[in-house]
Amino acid sequence: MISLVLDVIGGALLLIGLLLLTIGILGVLRLPDTLSQLHAQGIATGPGVIAIFASSVATENAVIITFAVLGIAFVAFTSPVSGHAIARAAHHRGNQSETQNNWNTFDE
Amino acid sequence: MSTVVIVPALVWVTLLLVAGGMTLIRARDVLQRVVALDLLAVLVIALLALLSYARNVGYYLDAAVALSLLSFVATVAAARHLRSGGPFS
Repeated sequence: MISLVLDVIGGALLLIGLLLLTIGILGVLRLPDTLSQLHAQGIATGPGVIAIFASSVATENAVIITFAVLGIAFVAFTSPVSGHAIARAAHHRGNQSETQNNWNTFDE
Repeated sequence: MSTVVIVPALVWVTLLLVAGGMTLIRARDVLQRVVALDLLAVLVIALLALLSYARNVGYYLDAAVALSLLSFVATVAAARHLRSGGPFS
């Protein structure tokens, strides 16, 4: 019984994770400039990987779940930091794209 | 976790890896390449986690966590390098 429930929860989390990864890739493929692409990439690198790690509950293996929790903690810490570093570099270099987005009006 | 769920997920992430290579090719700026490489590292991390679930073995997740650390350090180093305008300025 509990195994079935864990299977369903793990499958749903896996589906959510794959969906978020797909949305992130499509966003990076379609969006025009660096900061917009960073917005789409943050969806894949943060919540997408966390959902895929969290789907390890369906394996019912203590070693796998422990390392998945470690991975979740690590990704939740590092994904915003790397996104912030890329955004600061993009803001500093200026926006060379031909779109109407005028990001450089923001102060740092 | 059952193989019926894992194998289509592995196939789908592999297809996403091809699409991620396309984003790397289509990038016009250096920072867009940094974004695409971070995304590719994330896809490989997802592949390693799924492989660990499929074979019910824990040590692929070691590799996944180590790769995530490596990709974080590489991204932050590249971004800070590009922000300062190169090593000689």
